Amino acid sequence: MLLRASSQATRTAVDLAAVNGELSGHGGIAHAAELVAFVEAVAGRDDARLSGARQALRAVLTPDQFVDACAVIGAFSVVDRIADATGIPLDEPMAALTGDLRDELDLARFRSSANSRGL
Amino acid sequence: MTEPSVDYSAAGVPVREDLRRTHLAMLEYLRQPGCWFTGAERLAIAAESRNALACPLCLERRASLSPEHPKGDHARVSKLPEALVEIAHRLRLDPQRLSRGWFERVQTAGLEEGPYVELIGIAAFTAGIDFFCRSLGIEPFPLPAPVPGEPSHHRPQNARTGSAWVSMLAPEDATGPEADLYQGAGFVPNIARALSLVPDHVRVLQLESASHYVAMPDIPNPLIRRSLDRLQMELVAARVSALNECFY
Repeated sequence: MLLRASSQATRTAVDLAAVNGELSGHGGIAHAAELVAFVEAVAGRDDARLSGARQALRAVLTPDQFVDACAVIGAFSVVDRIADATGIPLDEPMAALTGDLRDELDLARFRSSANSRGL
Repeated sequence: MTEPSVDYSAAGVPVREDLRRTHLAMLEYLRQPGCWFTGAERLAIAAESRNALACPLCLERRASLSPEHPKGDHARVSKLPEALVEIAHRLRLDPQRLSRGWFERVQTAGLEEGPYVELIGIAAFTAGIDFFCRSLGIEPFPLPAPVPGEPSHHRPQNARTGSAWVSMLAPEDATGPEADLYQGAGFVPNIARALSLVPDHVRVLQLESASHYVAMPDIPNPLIRRSLDRLQMELVAARVSALNECFY
């Protein structure tokens, strides 16, 4: 959840609503619409939709970039499951970096936010 | 014996060598005896993680208001005890509705936290490499044959209860066989500590993070990037986590 920190570090204005799938335009991030559509299709069970989303993403990214996107999806499929199953709280430095963003996106609605009460 | 193997050729794109090495290392790791399970049991957990996607009970529960109803038997591909199948399936298909109460019931039913952590690490690693394959457009890697041997029953001496559901090893307590565990990093995220009851899980997670995302000590540095720029990487990461309803 370093989207805001990355946007600040690169002085790029981004539409953070993209995190919740509420993207208008590219949101300040190159090929954001294609990336979000791809992630959503991977998470779903419609293989035809996934094939279309993959094709659309590959049309705008280099092969290396496409593989990077697949790799990040894999990485966070691991991280999220470990976090949910062990009840770890958010890291304090990350809480400080991302607190405003989490409030803005109402991420406290997720059940696992109970593990980070007080941060 | 079936050795670990990976084949990306159907994807039609070149895959980085560090990813190939990581995937082979993860498959090799899964088939080895661990702290609490044999290699055969660990591969059975990986197979059950995959099988959740075709388990009618899990699919029905996922669509229901309660993650634990309806009651019933899981469709299974192993001889693992039902309690282990339940955890492997839940973690694959419905992780966002795990709760402290559920974890405490698992403990009360007799699964100690060491085996629990080993199980969830195996199931999570399996999900990670499977989601990579699904994203890339290739079949999941075949699971290799198990390596014979007995579990070590090793538990880090200094692991303590604290802020998470499971005991964790703090960086300042990582000594002896765990002295290398956090690589002297200044920033050790809780996600690394979460698996520390099974120290090799932490080492594999570090390897996985370094090739799939960024090296753990570099995570807080928003300027570290790959071919994708960091904004794009963080958008993908945040959208995955939002879909998984994961606050962390």
